[in-house]
Amino acid sequence: MKANKTAAVTAACFAALVVSAAVGICAGTVWLSPWELASEFFTEGLSQTERIVLYIRLPRVIAAVLSGAALSVSGAVIQAVLANPLAAPNIIGVNSGAGLFTVLCAAVFPAAARLMPAAAFLGALTAVMTVYGIAKKTGASRMTIVLAGIGVSSLLNAVTDTVTTLFPDALTGVSAFKAGGFSGVSAKTLFPAWIFIIAGITAAVMLSHDLDVLALGDSTAGSLGMNTGLMHFVFLAISALLAGAAVSFSGLIGFVGLIVPHMARKITGTSENSAVIPVCALLGGAFLSLCDTLARTLFSPYELPTGIVVSYIGVPFFIWLLIRKKGEKHSA
Amino acid sequence: MLELKNANGGYGKRTVVSDVSVKFPEGEITSVIGANGCGKSTLLMLCAGLLVPTSGQVMLDGEDMAKLPRNEAAKRISYLGQIKNSGSITVRSLVSHGRFPYLGYPRRYTAADREKINEAMELAGVADIAERNVSELSGGQQQRAHIAMTLAQDTKTILLDEPLAYLDINRQFELMELIVRLKALGKTVITVMHDLNLALIYSDKTAVMEKGAVTAFDTPENIIRSNAIETALGVKAEYCSEAKQYFFSIKHYTNNHLTYG
Repeated sequence: MKANKTAAVTAACFAALVVSAAVGICAGTVWLSPWELASEFFTEGLSQTERIVLYIRLPRVIAAVLSGAALSVSGAVIQAVLANPLAAPNIIGVNSGAGLFTVLCAAVFPAAARLMPAAAFLGALTAVMTVYGIAKKTGASRMTIVLAGIGVSSLLNAVTDTVTTLFPDALTGVSAFKAGGFSGVSAKTLFPAWIFIIAGITAAVMLSHDLDVLALGDSTAGSLGMNTGLMHFVFLAISALLAGAAVSFSGLIGFVGLIVPHMARKITGTSENSAVIPVCALLGGAFLSLCDTLARTLFSPYELPTGIVVSYIGVPFFIWLLIRKKGEKHSA
Repeated sequence: MLELKNANGGYGKRTVVSDVSVKFPEGEITSVIGANGCGKSTLLMLCAGLLVPTSGQVMLDGEDMAKLPRNEAAKRISYLGQIKNSGSITVRSLVSHGRFPYLGYPRRYTAADREKINEAMELAGVADIAERNVSELSGGQQQRAHIAMTLAQDTKTILLDEPLAYLDINRQFELMELIVRLKALGKTVITVMHDLNLALIYSDKTAVMEKGAVTAFDTPENIIRSNAIETALGVKAEYCSEAKQYFFSIKHYTNNHLTYG
């Protein structure tokens, strides 16, 4: 019966993803009905509408779906590994690392905006590995990872502020990154990142049983035969890869990684990661794609930063879930 | 056979267990007693291989535990610690994790695994709440679910760190009876105990710890005859054959009948 529920929830989330992505492709300054689109694609040559869909809307929807899925799975993994329901990719230094490298890139190579996604990705990985390196010195326990993450993040943010003070010009290139969004996304900017995201989600799904065992705590997992130090590293690396890849083209949309895993646990009624992680990927993709569609259509032709819409929709929904299920204990 | 040879262990630079040499007899129940902070739990973690001795050795069936692959050790020795995280999963899922050392990749349970899981739940008395969510259970039920997980691991040697915590008095006796049944199945049980009375009643051997050292390792009868408990815990133990219970009195107040039982 339980397996049936998980399958049903997963199917529903997949349907939500398909609908959300379809709406994202149809909606915009000009509304295109699905039938109109279908008939257009069967005619010869590329029409104006086909160009809009292929070169602008489709990459953007794909970017939002990938980013939402990556950040959500990254959050679910990090929450399980650290047994901390408040954990999100930013707690292990993803945002501060990506932020610093973006600023440095803007300061040192002001003309090379193309390098920014790569810089953000490298920064995220560097920061997370620094955090892990420090925590490992003291045994890589959950507490030391969180504390090292907070420490390293503060330091990197200080360096970022120093750089923007000394190179004020770098600030302009960075503000879009900090607000987060998908307005500049094209198929090119997605190139290496999408491979990392697909690989990261696949790895998370394949290792979900091991993640469940690790979530029992270091001593229990260790006594069940797991090399906990190694698995901490593996899961942090997966989490960093996913969040770093997402941040590289979407900027800082952090909140998704915190709330979607909680939503997934609430609707599946379990914290078992074999159920939670696929739902996170589907729900996160659907949710962020919906938010992005609203961000660019609500006040069209003006565009809201996607992160703002995430907060407006995500928080009330999240609070509703919390209240509806009150009395039930759902720990990470 | 689990054996400690001049084992020292601790956290960072702090040594908690110093120079312990003990052979835990096979197929028997050994209880470890001592005051808070004397190193009982650390000793157990050394035995489980979760802590590598800073010097000396922990030998499992004649092999150095530090050199044994963790997965291999987990098929021979199980450990239930005091700190338990389970998250929001069913009792069955939690107990199933006891089979982790036996799972290949992909992590799929065989019919034999399922049988062991069901047996373990029956033994620990959680079969009727198998589909309930662990996070919604009482402390005692959670404790028994974790014990079931340890049993599902199906190891020759079982290490328990204060397994009676959170249990009601009847459940405490039930668990001790379960431990006796495990012994009848040929298992070696080593358990840290806070309740001296139950420790002395049910165990074949008792290890008394004081300031990181094992000061006595003998049968409960001989332990009582020695002054090991008195020096380690500051109480005098007496056996009342009529009540089949041990009674404890603080050394200085015996005349005022301030007794613990």
